[in-house]
Amino acid sequence: MRGPGPAEPAERLIVGVDIGNSTTEACLASIGPEGAVSYLGTDLTRTTGVKGTPDNTPGALTAIRGALARAGRSAGEVRTVLLNEATPVISGLAMETITETIITESTMIGHNPTTPGGEGLGVGTTRSIAELGEQEPGEPVVCVVPHGWDFDDAAATINAAVQRGVAVVAAILAGDDAVLITNRLARAVPVVDEVAAVEKVPLGMLAAVEVAAPGRTIRTLSNSYGLATVFGLDPAQTRQVSPVARALTGNRSAVVVRTPSGDVTDRRIPVGELVLRGAGKTLRVDVDAGAEAIMDVVGRAQPLDDAHGEPGTHVGGMLAQVRDTMADVMDLPGQPAVPVSEIAIRDVLAVDTFVPADVRGGLAGEVALENAVALAAMVSTSRSRMQLVADLVSEGLGAAAEIGGVEGEMAVSGALTTPGVDRPVAVLDLGGGSTDAALLTREGECTAVHVAGAGELVTKLIDSELALGDREVAESVKWFPLAKVESFFHIRHEDGTVQFFDEPLPPHVYARVVVLTPDGPAPVGTRHGLDHVRRVRREAKRRVFVVNALRALRQVAPGGNLRALEFVVLLGGSALDFEIPDMIADALAPHGIVCGTGNVLGTEGPRNAVAAGLVRTYAAGPMRAAPGPAT
Amino acid sequence: MLVYRHPSAPLPVLREVCAGAEEEGVPTEVVDAPGGGDAQDATALAHAAALESRLDVGIGVDASGAAAVHHAKLPEDRPPATTGPDAAPPDWRRAGRIGARVVKGLPLMEGPRP
Ligand SMILES: Nc1ncnc2c1ncn2[C@@H]1O[C@H](COP(=O)(O)OP(=O)(O)O)[C@@H](O)[C@H]1O
Ligand SMILES: [Mg+2]
Repeated sequence: MRGPGPAEPAERLIVGVDIGNSTTEACLASIGPEGAVSYLGTDLTRTTGVKGTPDNTPGALTAIRGALARAGRSAGEVRTVLLNEATPVISGLAMETITETIITESTMIGHNPTTPGGEGLGVGTTRSIAELGEQEPGEPVVCVVPHGWDFDDAAATINAAVQRGVAVVAAILAGDDAVLITNRLARAVPVVDEVAAVEKVPLGMLAAVEVAAPGRTIRTLSNSYGLATVFGLDPAQTRQVSPVARALTGNRSAVVVRTPSGDVTDRRIPVGELVLRGAGKTLRVDVDAGAEAIMDVVGRAQPLDDAHGEPGTHVGGMLAQVRDTMADVMDLPGQPAVPVSEIAIRDVLAVDTFVPADVRGGLAGEVALENAVALAAMVSTSRSRMQLVADLVSEGLGAAAEIGGVEGEMAVSGALTTPGVDRPVAVLDLGGGSTDAALLTREGECTAVHVAGAGELVTKLIDSELALGDREVAESVKWFPLAKVESFFHIRHEDGTVQFFDEPLPPHVYARVVVLTPDGPAPVGTRHGLDHVRRVRREAKRRVFVVNALRALRQVAPGGNLRALEFVVLLGGSALDFEIPDMIADALAPHGIVCGTGNVLGTEGPRNAVAAGLVRTYAAGPMRAAPGPAT
Repeated sequence: MLVYRHPSAPLPVLREVCAGAEEEGVPTEVVDAPGGGDAQDATALAHAAALESRLDVGIGVDASGAAAVHHAKLPEDRPPATTGPDAAPPDWRRAGRIGARVVKGLPLMEGPRP
């Protein structure tokens, strides 16, 4: 992409700079006397500060200098830097868990130990192994073994009791010894182990212990009528225990203890309402009603003027916080304060999700999948500080800097450099915090919107649904395909292909689900299989980007009609994703739309559209005729 | 799974190693290392055992009580897991389980790394 040499007399070096929420991109070009553009180099760096604020200056300078260095040019040669006019958009994310599972009176043990012992169902009264010596023969006994018992001693004690005629029908262990003890029993019984809080198992109560054969799941305790049969329950009591049965479904082993008022409840947690103002209406919706209900109300309040949540809830806190952050960044010394009315939540995206959470009252670290609602919100203002950024960039670089165009229009202009694209064209900029759409009609009119929710929300959903507790791991699950390590020397990719290695794979990835990062396979810390991780990843992308692509395009399409669109060009960091562009193209195909990932300048892929658009617009503009740019 | 022991390998170590494998459902066969095992540390014993094992997985316990888990296809200096002479019973148990989990093709447990 080398242009004519600096000897060319009327050549002008210009740099287009796009400051995005996450990334700042630069495009360096030289413009010949006839307005012919030669692109010399591009660069990108992390945006510094909140988009549209003076803090952006260092990032902008880094990107400009990077592009100059790549092209072997110096800052002194630059005639003008062009910035995009962009209103600050700040987005926030919050998650509200709306169900909670609580076990009272230790009614149930529903974890999934990797190695339970024995097989079948045992029903009897719970007795501590320490008291087994005094146990009279007669009623069946479920033996409870606390921490500190050696497996040989425990087995010998149980065998001695059985010898005396005590019917030990099952056992519950603190340690991970179920197979060892079962192998040493004179008469095999089902044994559930790894019950960390075994001392809380109520003694002297009727209990049922069930262990299924390897590869199978329990049949009796996960069935309400099975429980009714085991404990002799009447219909009213059966109705009461049905949550227990549901909680145990899919387990290989379980314990249910019949206590006077023990229960498992699935409680809905009220998390307050969301108040949405727009379209001349004020509408309210309970956050725990779920994403569909919330988005329905958001749709009826469009265009949104503002939104508020209940103080003290995550959602309420997040909405207040994005508003405050915006007020802070807009509050500059020497400038009039921005009226609060101008800082408003302009869009909300709600997504249903689930979070694995520790069960309250659980004895063995039980985890239940709780329902949750994730919310992305966006605040934007009409006040821009971009002129200030331009002044600071000019000062820092020692060259003129000006605002060269409005973001949405520039994105479209840059997208038009993608081979095969023509007007009317819509772009979808898939960023980190917001998904932006802009439409350029055949007549040259441009409209643009921002909607809340993009790459960051996808990462957050992956992180919480897989309980990774690590944003970086979640980000890599989003970016890279999965594989299963099948031996020290081979992996199976998620599409089923097998790859062999000469060097052995490290032990910490052995038999694990891994993400294939450029630095090699990295384990995903989950007990779930590859298929589950893959489904979570794809669903997170679909619920954010497919939903938002349709939402944003409907807002710019003439009459809200997607059929009126012809070309859709995907841009931005998330358009680099290995599957998001395909998902969006699939969703748009029924509307007769040509959709694909942009290839700005024929070389830059979905990156650099706004920066390249600034350069193109400048070159095509009236200033072209003048020997030097007027500033 | 084959376990090679030095003739004076501590019995408590062997007991826990075998218990770990048994809890995972993998049978073990404990034999004195061919050649006496004087010249071999736990890792070398484990590798020799792995080469002999029908399951390609071996465990070695040397005279000091150090233990190692090995797979026949791995280079001798890259054992998947080792425990030192001053390890505790839960570490020995874990070594046995790791050996069994290599056999079963399950993720190895967190714990002592080479
Ligand atoms: N190769 C990639 N694969 C998947 N996602 C990516 C990739 N590169 C960047 N992203 C995602 O793109 C988002 C940032 O997009 P970007 O266009 O840089 O943001 P913005 O327009 O808001 O400045 C982040 O969520 C990031 O995870
Ligand atoms: Mg076990």
